[in-house]
Amino acid sequence: MRLEQSIITRRTFLNTLFSGWFVAFCLGSLYPLLKFIYPSLGREPDFVVLNAKDFLNIPNNSTKPFPWGAKLGLIFKKSDGTLYALKGVCTHMDCNITYKPELKKFYCACHKGWFDEDGKNIEGPPPKPLEFFDITIEDEKLIVAKKGVKVELPKS
Amino acid sequence: MNCQKVRNWFSERYDFESLKWFFKKKYVPSHRYEIFYYFGGLTLFLFALQFLTGFALALYYVPHPEHANKSVMDIITKLNFGWLFRSLHHWGAQLLIGVLFFHCFTTLLLKSYRKPRELIWVSGVLLLGITIFFGLSGYLLIWDERAFAAVRVATGGAGSLPLFGEYLKVFLRGGADVTGETLTRFYAFHVCILPLITVFLVVFHIALVQFHGMSVPLSLEGKRVDKIPFFPNVFLKDLMIWLIFLGILVTLSVLFPPSLGKKADPYAPPPENIKPEWYFLFLFQTLKIFPGEVLGLNGETVAVTLVTLAILFFLLIPFFDRKSSMGEKSPVYTAIGTFYLVYFIVMTILGFVT
Repeated sequence: MRLEQSIITRRTFLNTLFSGWFVAFCLGSLYPLLKFIYPSLGREPDFVVLNAKDFLNIPNNSTKPFPWGAKLGLIFKKSDGTLYALKGVCTHMDCNITYKPELKKFYCACHKGWFDEDGKNIEGPPPKPLEFFDITIEDEKLIVAKKGVKVELPKS
Repeated sequence: MNCQKVRNWFSERYDFESLKWFFKKKYVPSHRYEIFYYFGGLTLFLFALQFLTGFALALYYVPHPEHANKSVMDIITKLNFGWLFRSLHHWGAQLLIGVLFFHCFTTLLLKSYRKPRELIWVSGVLLLGITIFFGLSGYLLIWDERAFAAVRVATGGAGSLPLFGEYLKVFLRGGADVTGETLTRFYAFHVCILPLITVFLVVFHIALVQFHGMSVPLSLEGKRVDKIPFFPNVFLKDLMIWLIFLGILVTLSVLFPPSLGKKADPYAPPPENIKPEWYFLFLFQTLKIFPGEVLGLNGETVAVTLVTLAILFFLLIPFFDRKSSMGEKSPVYTAIGTFYLVYFIVMTILGFVT
């Protein structure tokens, strides 16, 4: 049945309305499901809180590992005694790196990549320098945070 | 879908015409009690939803006593929409069991089980039992104090059966008491064994309904009954009812998400005023009315035995009810069915109130 001026029949209109509603309904139901099944655990943290006394007294020109989420983090004391924190993961293929104190370089064994003590990629395949973090010390806490992240500690 | 090419591809290889025929000539009787035909399909729909939300939750749940409770907590608190899926699964289970009981009692009182449909009834009662076991096994998986105590009581109740009770109890618990072994076992039941059996039985149940057609109430037997086409008339009403219940389910899930207790501690006393889930209340209440000793026998053993016999009788009703099978009125079995229904309702309410 079609009205005089109409370009579509009543049935077409109703079918479109119903299908449109149905598609919207399905998409709306699918949205939370897709959001849920896409993993959101094990994301990299914005900051981690460590015990300061475990890390402040490490010898010069050495590193000590800490968990940065599921990845390796390194607290690194340069030979001049300044303290740094960095992500201990090679920028090439995410392998864990080691510090070679005799050469004062970071080395990645996967594809023989080298970084100097400032984290600059100097040899081998790594495309980017290592990621360094900000360090702040509050009372007993050593707070390691991504550069530019505002740290808000939960009120205990 | 007017993809002529795709349709041709399939129709050259498969016989879709007969399938179309099946849907075209499928008719359903239409009469006063027609509304009760829709609850079987509704149960199927709720089952499908349980499967879907269960799939989603299984991606994150960790079936280990050390991690189970925390993994559920992570689902609720850390994951996108995790609270919603857990809530949907919980409320979906409540609705499913409620609708299933309703479906069961309507078919009982309308004598739908009578000849030739005895096996539909038997498979249906088995499905009801399996669904309740689904509920119990899923309840333990969150591994909080309440669930732990509830499963201890329920499996202990199974242990009061004469002869093979002790064996059954140890089989269910995976040991002498409820431990991490029980969790592993219940997880296997809940996500692997029961779903497979359920799918098989549901297919069987529905295939038989297609084979026999819909049962017409005894009072209308032999009279002229109108028939309406299943597709699209009945199917559309099915969809409407599904949509209504989906709305109810989502509303309940969003407004009343279930709580999660502290991680279970096998040495802690059970939490105060603990009660089983509502679909166990009638059993729980039945055990309570029996004294400690009946005629020199252990009261609990007597109670559990009687309940088991009552369930067995329930399962075999089509074979006892000769009159209905001959197409005659069967007031005795109407009374028995009514007794089962009233007992279930009254005992459930009593369980709530006390």
